[in-house]
Amino acid sequence: MDEFPIIQQLGDDALLVTFAHTISWDVGIRVRSAARRIRNTHLSSVTDVVPAYTTLAVYFDSRAVSFATVSSEVATLIGDADAASDDRSTLIEIPVRYDGPDLAEVAERTGLTQDELIEKHCSRTYRAYMTGFAPGFTYLGDLDEALVLPRRTSPRVRVPAGSVAIAGAQTAVYPLVTPGGWHLIGTTSIAMFDPARDPPALVRAGDSVRFVRIDG
Amino acid sequence: MSDVITVIAAPPFATIQDLGRVGFRDSGVPVSGLADRESGLLLNAILGNEPSAAMIEWAVGGGALRFDCAAEIAVGGAEAMLHINGVKADPWLPIVVASGDELRIDRIVRGRFVLIAIRGGIDVPVVLGSRSTLLSAGIGGLDGRRLRNGDQLRIGDHVPTQYENIEYDKRGGRTNSGGPVTVMRGPQASLFDDAAWTTFLNTEYLVSLASDRSGYRLDGNAISHSGSAALPSEPACVGAIQIPDGGTPIVIMNDGPTVGGYPKIAVIRDSCLSRFAQMAPGDPVRFAVGSSGFDIT
Repeated sequence: MDEFPIIQQLGDDALLVTFAHTISWDVGIRVRSAARRIRNTHLSSVTDVVPAYTTLAVYFDSRAVSFATVSSEVATLIGDADAASDDRSTLIEIPVRYDGPDLAEVAERTGLTQDELIEKHCSRTYRAYMTGFAPGFTYLGDLDEALVLPRRTSPRVRVPAGSVAIAGAQTAVYPLVTPGGWHLIGTTSIAMFDPARDPPALVRAGDSVRFVRIDG
Repeated sequence: MSDVITVIAAPPFATIQDLGRVGFRDSGVPVSGLADRESGLLLNAILGNEPSAAMIEWAVGGGALRFDCAAEIAVGGAEAMLHINGVKADPWLPIVVASGDELRIDRIVRGRFVLIAIRGGIDVPVVLGSRSTLLSAGIGGLDGRRLRNGDQLRIGDHVPTQYENIEYDKRGGRTNSGGPVTVMRGPQASLFDDAAWTTFLNTEYLVSLASDRSGYRLDGNAISHSGSAALPSEPACVGAIQIPDGGTPIVIMNDGPTVGGYPKIAVIRDSCLSRFAQMAPGDPVRFAVGSSGFDIT
């Protein structure tokens, strides 16, 4: 039986902390709380702290500090972390025109009218689980159960930047032109990734997101 | 007019790179940077540049550059046929060029990336702390894209006054020039049983044609694991050896995704990353679990 959290080496320059093997809301809170605590401590020679669904990684400069040192500092910090006490998050509103090429098909497959579908998508506040796949791409959940569909059987080679999409129990905005297999239900003109901004991703793991329906 | 290099004939794939971009992985931004970092550090040291000076990472074919000013350059990394104004030139040595001189790279003989460094570095805007090109996001380098014919690259004028004896020579990829690529166990190493590990460590893999700065696919014996297929995606790193459903490894490289859901059987040690990065399609590679090699004097 595994004893969580587990700290492992992730190559010479990073460590991975695993809090659980299955995704849950409570695990997400623990991951984000630990990530915030590690970030706020500004450990010497640590360059990046990256939270994900059930894990987080701490990247460091191995020429300046050893895995053993970072590992023991991180172990102390996550040991002290009071799980649920500080799960604050930034709320980001994303304006969406629900004009995606898959909107009609998703409505048909879910048995909803397009208005019902849109209403279900923009009526809840999502939590950002993980940023990755592409710069500025952030996985948001959880979707209303009525909207859950598997990915498209044939992914698109080229999804336009700003496409608002759903797949499984998640929703996201494609920040850049990339291949993608999610269902495209809308578009936003807001920049999800802007290299002139710090941080460059509009939404990062831990943030809260609401989609706001706009017309035209 | 400032000092520039003109691209006379671009190869299929050349970009501007430096030591890469750290601190933005939580925005999904990969580190990018020189795939063969050790050669880049060595060339910058040869020219008296700062370690982070940007240079041209040149791949896949031949081509030519013209220097529109006097300059000092050094070329290294992959083995290539080099000529300056038609006269054969040596890698790994400073070369003084005059205005109008042409550097021609006929072809890459061995390896993947030829690095062309210049005293003062290539002067392109710093984006998120680095001059490295990231094609997928269209940032860094020259307008976030590959070099093409007619491009003009400005040469920087900053060189450190004090030469710093950096420690790259103890960690160099060049000195580590043969034998298996050293790895450490990855986060999911224990999902793979003894038979899988035996296959992994006894197979001579070949670098696939389907490999680029995001990742190198390897052809060879497939490996299976005992875990459930659905691992929640988690942070990854350069050099991580992932085993997707098909069973043949994919190694994450500098422009690869910051997160991934495939089990990582092992991770290439820093001491072997530059040498691995120089492997071209068809090159054989074996892996061995071992220490970093940095401690050996």
